[in-house]
Amino acid sequence: MSADVRLETVWIRFGDFVAARDVSLHIQDGEFFTILGPSGCGKTTLLRAVSGFLTPSEGRVLIGGEDMAGIGPNRRPTALIFQNLALFPLMTIWENITFSLEVKGVGIKERRKRAAELLELIALKGHGDKMVSELSGGQKQRVAIARALCAQPQVLLLDEPLSALDLKLRQHMRTELRAIQQQVGITFIYITHDQGEALTMSDNVAVMREGIVEQVSDGTTIYDEPDTSFVASFVGENNRFVGKVARISAGIAEVNTEDGVLRARCSTNPQSAVSKGDDVFVFVRPESVRFLDGAPTDNQFKAKVYHEEFEGNLWQVFLDLASSQKRVKMSYVNDGSITPHSADTEVAIGFSERAAIALPRGPLAAE
Amino acid sequence: MIPDRVQKLLIIGFVALFFVYLFGPLLVMGLSAFNTSNFPRMSPWDCFTVEWFDVLMNDARLITGVRNSVIIGLGVVVLAVPIGLAGALMLMQVGPRVRPWYYTITIAPILVPGVVLGISTLLFWDRIGLMLGATEDSIFYDGMFLTIIGQATFISAYAMLIFIARLQRFDVALEEAALDLGATHVQAFRKILLPYLRPAIGSAAVLAFLASFENYNTTIFTIISSSTLTTVLASKVRYGIDPSISALAVSIVFLTLVGAVIYEIVKRREARKVKAQMAVARGEATETRKQRSFFSEPAFIMFVLIVIAGMGTIYFAGTIGVEECKTVVKAERQAEIQKRIAERQQQQASERAVDVQSDPPKDEDQTDRADKVTAKGTEGYQGVFAPANLQGDSESEPDEPAVGTEGYQNVFAPANLTGDATENSAADEPAIGTEGYQNVFSPENLTEQVQPDASGN
Amino acid sequence: MNLVNYWREFFLKNGTAVALFMIIAVGMWLFMMIILPQLFMLDFSIRANVPPPKFGTEEHYYTLEHYKYMVFGSALATDTFNVIDLSVFFRTIGAAIFVTLIDLAICYPIAYYLAQVATGGWSRLMVLSLIVPFWINEILRAFAFKIIFGSTGVINNFLIASGLLDQPYDFIRNDIALWAGLSYAFILLMIFPIYNAIESLDKNQIEAARDLGSPWWRIHWRIVVPHAKPGISSGCTMVFMLTAGALAAPQILGGPSSLWFTQIIYQGFNQAGNWARGSAYAIILLVSCIVFVLVMMKIFKVRFGEMMK
Repeated sequence: MSADVRLETVWIRFGDFVAARDVSLHIQDGEFFTILGPSGCGKTTLLRAVSGFLTPSEGRVLIGGEDMAGIGPNRRPTALIFQNLALFPLMTIWENITFSLEVKGVGIKERRKRAAELLELIALKGHGDKMVSELSGGQKQRVAIARALCAQPQVLLLDEPLSALDLKLRQHMRTELRAIQQQVGITFIYITHDQGEALTMSDNVAVMREGIVEQVSDGTTIYDEPDTSFVASFVGENNRFVGKVARISAGIAEVNTEDGVLRARCSTNPQSAVSKGDDVFVFVRPESVRFLDGAPTDNQFKAKVYHEEFEGNLWQVFLDLASSQKRVKMSYVNDGSITPHSADTEVAIGFSERAAIALPRGPLAAE
Repeated sequence: MIPDRVQKLLIIGFVALFFVYLFGPLLVMGLSAFNTSNFPRMSPWDCFTVEWFDVLMNDARLITGVRNSVIIGLGVVVLAVPIGLAGALMLMQVGPRVRPWYYTITIAPILVPGVVLGISTLLFWDRIGLMLGATEDSIFYDGMFLTIIGQATFISAYAMLIFIARLQRFDVALEEAALDLGATHVQAFRKILLPYLRPAIGSAAVLAFLASFENYNTTIFTIISSSTLTTVLASKVRYGIDPSISALAVSIVFLTLVGAVIYEIVKRREARKVKAQMAVARGEATETRKQRSFFSEPAFIMFVLIVIAGMGTIYFAGTIGVEECKTVVKAERQAEIQKRIAERQQQQASERAVDVQSDPPKDEDQTDRADKVTAKGTEGYQGVFAPANLQGDSESEPDEPAVGTEGYQNVFAPANLTGDATENSAADEPAIGTEGYQNVFSPENLTEQVQPDASGN
Repeated sequence: MNLVNYWREFFLKNGTAVALFMIIAVGMWLFMMIILPQLFMLDFSIRANVPPPKFGTEEHYYTLEHYKYMVFGSALATDTFNVIDLSVFFRTIGAAIFVTLIDLAICYPIAYYLAQVATGGWSRLMVLSLIVPFWINEILRAFAFKIIFGSTGVINNFLIASGLLDQPYDFIRNDIALWAGLSYAFILLMIFPIYNAIESLDKNQIEAARDLGSPWWRIHWRIVVPHAKPGISSGCTMVFMLTAGALAAPQILGGPSSLWFTQIIYQGFNQAGNWARGSAYAIILLVSCIVFVLVMMKIFKVRFGEMMK
């Protein structure tokens, strides 16, 4: 059983503080949906409104088409995996997993059976009688998932469940979570501030800033076609130029900046459209910036190498533009053919107009 | 600059002195429980005895007091622990503006003088009873009920502090997780929060009971006509002291020790259990469950053996040969006393006239009683030389001029010698003797504990 | 409206049963046990002293006579002021201050020693052994002091035997037994807050100060004492309040001429039967203790919040 989740013009206020501002979302049945945003953006608040721990000040939450107003967390078809997992420390693993059955009054035999099944699913067979404190971080993680699944929710809510794990384990758990989601086929709503997690696992991602949903889209669109300057600066890395639109033709804006006239495409989303005279940002990804070896491109600069960082698969190069002393970052794949530059080498760099995007000036993510 | 070694010695000396201050009084009191002297003291040492424990066990008033104290203690536990729990839970939820006020009001009873709490409780329920037209024998005038309420007022605050300390480390997400998994609020409370708070509930209950058991300031006002251990003790100690009170203190210290040892064993068992759980890689719960029963713990058995052996030794040493020893000591004292009496009598006769006029009354714990004593004699020991006393007793050592402070003076008053000084008279009839020994010579004691020859010359 | 929402939220959050339990228990405690009894006592203290059947009648009028009595004595008395009660009151407060200072002087070094100097199991054992004497109730503790300080007590016997005295010294009459007993009674309440405060002080700070050449008294004055201030003030507050409100120890150890203020209250209730005046005196004790503590906190710049940790 699975269900869709719909938020309709949800406002959540705590006194004068607004945690969610007119949020409308539709999360499809069976989807892996991620809400991405920096800490304090209201994403956890939104999740708590879905799970029933708080009531929206305005607007409605519908699960499976049913209005959830006045229905407490214990009567909603959702299960939440907490940031710190919230495993019950005084219960054994199997008691933790089958807690949802225990409170329904299911007999011990049935519960042990169900626990065994779930322990098998999360590859912890035989660990049922241990205490929580005897498990490793990754094992605890899986127990938390099993405990939530045992309640047979239609929607599983996950509140940054991987944040406490180390990098290796986190990457492993991403794959595992995705696999479990596909196996059980229920709706997952996942909360994170880690864009890597968001982009790898999700069918769709919502990016939030200060209680506002900035963009809802699949991962590639979020990365390649940001709707707002915030999304562009928050997801992935971007070089940013400040300027004013001088002319627009055929979806390409000419922007006057300190570094001369830059050419960049406009967003296809009409809400993010720019017109002549607008203050805009021009964003370009480090991997779109190239050394110019003779061949001209749409936007060209003279620059001096500041320093280079070797990251194994990538070279990261930091350069100062000759025209404005602006620091620009570029990265290129280490294919073995390139010799590193020494500091202060003068180079020519550039990027194409299709690789850059002009967006209306708006808030940016904190550096 | 003081050299390091001297400094160190000074510090150790200070710490040692401090611990002498801490334990010295208890030690002296403890030893006095085993001395045959009718007055609780350690020196001079007469004879080793356990007779004061017998006196203690036969003290009906004290037994009633203990019984009432236990009932009140249990009542306070039943009332204060849930209130403290509710108070702590509430504190976690009240808004930031109400919080400081709420906290101050609930903590205030700890700092408010106990007498104030006692008085306000008494007055309040008296008024309530009056408004409801309750009769004298209703609950509003019941000393036990009022005492439970009065004590619970501040003991609840103790309990609350214990719960707050534990709740602050409680992860609210646990409760939310339970709700999220379909538990009702009551289930989440019962299955998650209460188990988490269980150690705190235990501590709060023990603390509440002990705090109630030893409370005096509040109780003295609320208890009305009943009595508790502390009120009985207080009246005993105020109006006359004998070593059976020391014996009581020894018993309490002993029980405390037993409690502490049991607590320690329980704690170690728990620590061991946790360790075992951690150690056993796969969760063989059966492994940890088949722990020894508490009573077969080696530490417990050892402890019981030592206690039995110690008590046995003390009992035999304290009962065998006591009378012989007493006789010897008496004889020695008598010889000395006879000598001194002769000396003193001369001296005293000449000083007496002056004394009566000039000396203010001495050594009464209540001024309002002092005048009554003045009538009898300005110095407490004067009674010793009254005719009755001269044929009297070796216990009243005239070589101690201030004997009166401890209240020997009326021991030989006619009333006491005839033995009509009942237990209650000590409290109710100060005229007989404010600090008297009178009960020692009441008929039953004369025939049982104190041999006639011990008080006869 | 907001309040209604608040309570609805409260019930929703806790569930009806738990919410009701909390409200009833806390409500009963706050109103039936703490606030109303105090208000009733206040009301009682500002009314004429009449027997219960006349409560609420015209004879039970409001008056400040009991407070006036405390200051000026009865109208018939020849003295302008109520010398007896006032002197007992101020002596009680003074003695409570004195006892608090003694306890502070004794406990600060000990707490510092236990928290910073003593190490490992030895320190733990000492901390535990501190608690033992306090399992025994207040009256027995006072009783122990009566035994020791009596004219035939250990101390007098020792002093005479060693030739320092030829007559027993009357410790009880001179209040020494009382002060010793009161200091003893609340020592634990002074040590533990200070101990907790000093224990949380980083040893490195002391070493750094020593390293910089600071003499030991300056280390205490500039580093340890400021750090332990909340603990010191909470210890002093508790000892002061409990000493001023003590009843058992003064009853048992008090000399003939030194009544404690609580004893006057007690007599007012149990012997004079004047509940109204007893209430007024109780209020005076309560208010003056609170005022005194607040003034001290102001002077030493301690906030209530940090003190009650």
